[in-house]
Parts: sequence; structure tokens; C-alpha cells
Amino acid sequence: TELRLSHQWSTKDIRHQVAQIVADEVAAADVDLEITIFPSKSLFAPREQYNPVSRGQLDMTVLPLSYAGGQQPAYNLTLMPGLVRNHDHAARLVDSPFMDSLEEIMAEDDVKVLVHGYLAGGFAGVDKCITSPDDIQGLQTRAAGRAFEQMLAGAGASITSMASSEIYNGMQTGVLQAANTSSSSFVSYRIYEQVKCYTPASETALWFMYQPLLMNLTTFNDLSPAQQEALTAAAAKAEAFYLEQAKAEDAASVETFKAAGVEIAEMTQDDFDKWRALAMETSYAEFVAGYPAGQDLLDKALAVE
Amino acid sequence: MSGQTTGASARTGDNPFLKGVAFLSLLSGWTAATLIVVSVMITCQMIFVRFVLNQSTIWQTEAVVYMMIAATMLGLPYVQYLRGHVNVDLIPLALPPRLRKALFFVTMLTGIAIICVMTFYSYEYWHIAWERNWRSDTVWGVRLWIPYLALPIGFALFVLQMIADTVAVAIGVDTPFGLEE
Amino acid sequence: MDPLLLGLLVAFFTIFVLFSGVSVATGLLIVSAGFLIAFDGMRSLELMPEIMFGKLNNFALLSIPMFIIMGAAIASTRAGADLYEALERWLTRVPGGLVISNLGACALFSAMSGSSPATCAAIGKMGIPEMRKRGYPDEVASGSIAAGGTLGILIPPSVTMIVYGIATETSIGRLFLAGVLPGLMLVALFMAWSLYSTARSGNMQVLAKVSYTWKEKFEILPRVTPFILIIFGVLYAMYGGVATPSETAAVGALLCLVIAMIIYKLWNPKDLWVVLRDSTKESVMILFIIGAAGVFSFMLSSLFITQSIAAWIGTLDVNPWVLMLAVNIFLLIAGFFLPPVAVILMAAPILLPIITTAGFDPIWFAVILTINMEIGLISPPVGLNLYVINGIAPDIKLKTILMGSLPYVACMVIAILLLCFFPGIATWLPDYVMGPAV
Ligand code: NA
Ligand code: NA
Repeated sequence: TELRLSHQWSTKDIRHQVAQIVADEVAAADVDLEITIFPSKSLFAPREQYNPVSRGQLDMTVLPLSYAGGQQPAYNLTLMPGLVRNHDHAARLVDSPFMDSLEEIMAEDDVKVLVHGYLAGGFAGVDKCITSPDDIQGLQTRAAGRAFEQMLAGAGASITSMASSEIYNGMQTGVLQAANTSSSSFVSYRIYEQVKCYTPASETALWFMYQPLLMNLTTFNDLSPAQQEALTAAAAKAEAFYLEQAKAEDAASVETFKAAGVEIAEMTQDDFDKWRALAMETSYAEFVAGYPAGQDLLDKALAVE
Repeated sequence: MSGQTTGASARTGDNPFLKGVAFLSLLSGWTAATLIVVSVMITCQMIFVRFVLNQSTIWQTEAVVYMMIAATMLGLPYVQYLRGHVNVDLIPLALPPRLRKALFFVTMLTGIAIICVMTFYSYEYWHIAWERNWRSDTVWGVRLWIPYLALPIGFALFVLQMIADTVAVAIGVDTPFGLEE
Repeated sequence: MDPLLLGLLVAFFTIFVLFSGVSVATGLLIVSAGFLIAFDGMRSLELMPEIMFGKLNNFALLSIPMFIIMGAAIASTRAGADLYEALERWLTRVPGGLVISNLGACALFSAMSGSSPATCAAIGKMGIPEMRKRGYPDEVASGSIAAGGTLGILIPPSVTMIVYGIATETSIGRLFLAGVLPGLMLVALFMAWSLYSTARSGNMQVLAKVSYTWKEKFEILPRVTPFILIIFGVLYAMYGGVATPSETAAVGALLCLVIAMIIYKLWNPKDLWVVLRDSTKESVMILFIIGAAGVFSFMLSSLFITQSIAAWIGTLDVNPWVLMLAVNIFLLIAGFFLPPVAVILMAAPILLPIITTAGFDPIWFAVILTINMEIGLISPPVGLNLYVINGIAPDIKLKTILMGSLPYVACMVIAILLLCFFPGIATWLPDYVMGPAV
């Protein structure tokens, strides 16, 4: 059996490596299962992957689940400010009733999670450090994700939407004064050349994005027990690697920014609480207003210690 | 030798069907042109809001992209009417009139078939988005059936104009590939 | 089936279908659907509209119609004539001032228009009759404008550079800057040939100086200042922190429309509609090709053809310059037949990995590719600019235009060679303005 996996990242990216581990392990298990990876959007545009997977036209993908947040509002909880505090907390969230409920919703779309994983990110400022809500006031800001845009707008930032690939250019020409994105994007787009200060994800961080390896559920169920077993075993191995690398990536981004002479700021517990209080009034409130059934899910997520 | 002949357009003669389709294409084209002009305005407004007022620009980028897609789709029948879809007619030129006419019908019918397929599947795509109330994953959160609607409408009108063009050659109002006999 | 063999089959059918007279975009959809059904089953067919929507769902594409409107608005006025007249009145010490000025005007106009046919039409409308009246040979009058017009896609803004930037994910701002110096170099080569060829035709007195009084020199200036302002305004917006290149295009379009209306009294709704109609026509044609080419490249990737070709080229142990020569010949041939946008979209996903693996700079390659596309615009069988000239000056035989254009093709080949020996001509300016590349 041949399965096709599509994703948007380069072959150096962690998320590609996660997919590669699954493909390699499954091939090594010798159960007549072959996974062909189509990296770097060579098959589908990033936001055009969820539908084909849910309809079985594509077998697997690795993507931020929030891309499909317009179809399943519950997915917006996978990119909510302050809902995850650090990578260990993220790992506990993955093993919680919250994730079980999310997986039930995914099953309605005929989608199954093979590998869970969160990646973190931070803030960067062209002229100053961004740690608390007061810092962002009046800055032209690019935020990653709708809930973050709502929270930052609540803090008085001016939101401008652009692709993460445009951040560098935007900062260089002065269109943009602050940005929020993932640690890997900060490094791969060389944002360290344009900013004075970087607030990375560390002990407490705001920005965590759930980016699982998904598979079409029917396709999975149609595999032989041996094939399913091989896939599950490969996925477990990949998931451990994913968590470890996600932590390493944050640390590596700090090193890169330091080496470029960028000031490194830290978000204190006090800052985090201020952001979270703001998020409660803005992003969380708007999430529940638009999707009343989401309150229960939100409570489940908040209940994870 | 190029299909990009300036100033040409589909010939309708006195045929009411051909005239009716031409009118629809024209209407569609006006809409497309209007959408392009409006996107110019919105983009300028966005720069003003951001650069001069230093305020948030939430909806503009997305709105403009959807309007541009709609302009492209609704522009299809009109550009077909204007003979503006660039083509390479090396084989038709090399053929004698009878074979050229036969080739014309083969290419047009194949083209019509593929655009019918596009029309059908874009209708389904639109219908799912409408039925399940899909929205975009932005703060603006626009209902996706609105931008998706441009696909089935644009393709359907496009196919109509292609049918009209085929009919025009069949009844002798126009020549195959717009080439002189 | 072996993907490489399948690729050969796709290439064969694509050529056959595209030459059959069906429009390029529809042809790409036909070929894609055919191969998807045959080798991937019906499941992929369903996806075609979504893939097209996904390809067009890109803010950077907005700048294509905008940069086309900029050129079309100005082209509908007598601005082209003003530009070359002004240049001629100030270039009194230069022999052959008129053809030099026309080429200069092409270059300046290129800085306001993203497309080549528009540039050709804008300058040629008045420029060709004027040159012929003053005794320039038909070959030079028509050839120089046909060639000068091609600069529209090399000197920024450029629709093809935008498409290349999107297809290869390279910075459009950087690509625009890369085209500036090669564009000026081409203008210089074109000028040199025009003078030489006019002199050789024996008609020396047309090259004689025409002198203008200071009054004549100054009274024309107000008529060209708006355009100089537009060019610098757009450049400032793009590189000065006001807006991204895509957004800047909208400002440029609005400015050009407003200036055409106020200064050139383009009030009549009918005339305005012509501008809008022509821009819509060209933009939709290009955007449909972009969408259809997206489906085509999905097919190539889905059937593993793109990947296999890249892997196969990787195993070939050839000299990079031999590879570059092969790539150029391929582009040249493709450009003879197909519109630049289609060539870029179909070739970029396959060529770019090859180019970068061989150690070439993608920004530099964009310039090489663009000049190849420019050659295609003035060569048979599908030379868009040749037909524009034919439309402007119907009494010049197509063959004469073609013969007149050939030497300019030679100039472009020389430019490609110079760029190969001195890549800095393309890469210096973007590196200087925007810092060294990744
Ligand atoms: Na240009
Ligand atoms: Na050509």
C-alpha cells in the first residue's frame, strides 16, 4: 500500500523530520506500507490540505490544526494565547480529556491524529522588547493566528496581516514594528537581522501551536492490523522526537539571536498573567461568543495543570 | 499567427442565442472590471489606515484577494468573448480548411468538457462550504461560500460563451480559431 | 510507469494540445485532467477547482492587474510621445537623437508598466510614424520599438518577475531591483545597434543633430514631470517603508489613472472603459494561466514527475555552464511559442532546484530567464510585440518588423553572455539596497 503525505515545510524542518521518521519506521517494519512525502507545498497549498485529507484524496498531512478553524471552530483552541505555558504542559494537554474531545471532532471529519505535537514561538520588536501588554501599544504588529490578533488588538497594537515570509521585508522597510511567530520562522526568515529585542518561548510562554500529523481515518481503518500497528509504533517514536526537538528549537533560536547581537528578554510570570487576563477578555470571550459549545472544551483545557 | 489579436471579439450575427450569451459575458466582464477598480481603492485605503493613521488593517488583504479571484473567474467569459485567452494556432494554420474546422470542434468540445467538470466540482465545493457554514480562519472570518461562489458562476458563464463560440462556427457566423479562410 | 518516461509523455501531449489552437490555460487544464484520470484515478479531478482557488489565493497576485492598469492608463494618453520628445529636445548633442530618445522613452515607460505589449504600444503609437517621417529605415523604426517594448518585463515593475517570485518564493522587491541594471545595459546595446544600423543604411543625415531652443527645451518639462514623480513615488513607497510591493502597485495604478484623467483629460467614460477593459483582459488572461498552471504542476508533482526530473538531473555529472546553456536553449524554445507567464510557471518548479543545486543564484537566474522571455516576445511564431507593432503600423510588413527585430535579439543574447561573465550586473543592486541575500 502506498500513502501520500503532503506538508508545507522544507526538508530541514522538524515537522518534515517527524514525517520522515514515520515513513522510515513503517518502511523498516516491512508490512507492505510505503509513505511518499511531498514536502515544501509541492502538492497542496498549506491551507488546502485539510479538506483532501478529510475526504481521503490525500492520506496524510502535517499542519497547524487551526488552519481548519473556520470549518471546526473548536480547532481555534489549538492556537489560543496562554492556554499552554510550556512544552511539558503541552505534553500533559495532549494526554487530557481536552484532546480526547478534539479527536472526537476530528473523527467527525474522518480525520485521525497519528502524532501529537506543539511548537512554540515568541515576540520580536524592531525598537524595543515586548514582554507585557503595555509594550505593544501603538506598534504595527504581525501576529500569528486569529486569537493572537484579537488579544494584541486588545493591548492596543495595530494589526497588519501578512505572511511570515514577509516579516523581514516589512521590518526592513519600516511597515512593521513587531511580530509574533514560531521560533523556527524567526530563525529561518532571519528576523534577527532586523530586530533589537527577542522574547523567546522559555519557562512561561504565550504562543503554542498544535501541529499534528493527521491521517484519513477510513484509510487507516482499511489497513491490515499489522500495518496499523507499524504506523502506531512509528508514530509513538516520532512523537517523542517531536517533543524533544520542539524544546531544542526554542533554545537554538535564542542562540541564533544572541549570536546576532539581539537583546533577549524574558516574559515573567507577572507578564504572563497580564497577557492571560487580557486574553480572557478578548480571544477567549470572542471564541465562546462565536461558538458557545466551545466553553466546555475551553474549561477542559484550562483544567489541565 | 498569434491568438492575441487586438480589438477582435466574438461575432454574433443576428442570432439571438449568440447575442444573449455575449450580453451575459459583457455583464460578467463589467463586474470583473469593477471588482478590480474596487480592489485598487481598498488597497489604497489599507495603506492609508496603516501608514497614516497607524491603525489595524484586519479585513482588507483578505477582501482584496477574494475580489481578485472573483474578478478572474467572472472575467473568464468576457475575455473568451474578446478572444483574449492567448493561444498558439500552429497546427490549425498548417491544416486545410476542412480539417481545421474539424480540429476546431474537437478542441472546443474537449475544452467545454473540462470546463463543465470544473463547473460541477466548484459547485460541489461551494455547496459544502455553504451547507457547513465554513468561514475563513481569520479575525474577519468571512463566510467562505461567498468567495467560492465566483468559481461555479465564472466557469458556468465561461462554458456558455465557449458553447456560443462553437455554435457560431457551426452556423457559419464565425470562422474556426478566428482565422481567415 | 517510470516517472521520467511519463514526463516525456506529458511533454509531448502538452506541446500537441497547446499547439492545437486551444487557449493556453484551457489546454493546461485538459492535459492535467487527462493525465490525472489516466494515472491517478478520478479522485484528483474533484480537487481541480480547489487547487486553482488555492493558487489564486495569494495577495502578491494583486499587483499583476495593478501594474497592468498603471501602464494601460498612461498608454492611453500621449504621454509616450511626450517622453521621447522631451528626451530628444534635451539630447541635442547626441547623434540620432530620435531613435535614442524613443528607446530611452521605452525604458522610462517600462518603469511605469509591468507588461511589454503596453510599453510597445505606448511609445510606438507616435514614435514609429515620427521616426519613419524623419527618414529612419523601417527596420530600425519598428525593430527598436519592438525590442524596447520588451523592457517592460525586465525594468521594474514586472508582471513576470512577480510570477517568478511567487513560483519560486524569492523576494519580489529583490527581483525588481535585479532587473534595473540589466535593463539599462540592454537599452545601451539597443541604442548602439540602432545608431550603427541607421548609419549603415547610408542615410547619414537623419542622424544629424536637430537643435532646439531653450524655450522648447523647458516648455516640455511640465509634461513629463508627472511621470518622473510617479516612478519615484512608487519606488519610495516600495523601498521606503510605506507599503509592500503588492500594495504599492495599487497606489501606482490609482496615481496613473488620476494623472491620465487630470493631465490628459481622460474623462470620457468610453475612453476610461477602454483602459479598464484592456487591463481586465490582460490580467484575467494571465491569472487564468496562473490558476491552470497550478493544476498542471499539481499533476506533475502528484505523478512524481517533477521530483524524478530533479533527481535525474542531480545524478548527471555535467559542468554547471553546460547545464546553463541547456536551460537557456530550453527557455528560448519555450519562449518562441508560449507567453512568458506560462513558461515561468511550467518551468520554474522543475528548473529552480536544478539551478540552485548547480550553484547559480535564483535572483540572477530570474534576469536570465526574463531576457529569454523578451526574445520570445519579438520572435516568431508567437511574438506578442511583433503583432502590437503590426497593429500600430499596418503598412510595415511583418517580415520587415521581424528582420528589424533580429539584431536586437542578438543584443539580448550578448546581454545574457555578459550576465554570465559578470553576474554582479544583476545581483549588485539588490544586495546594495536590501543587504546580502540568504
Ligand atoms: Na516594467
Ligand atoms: Na515568440
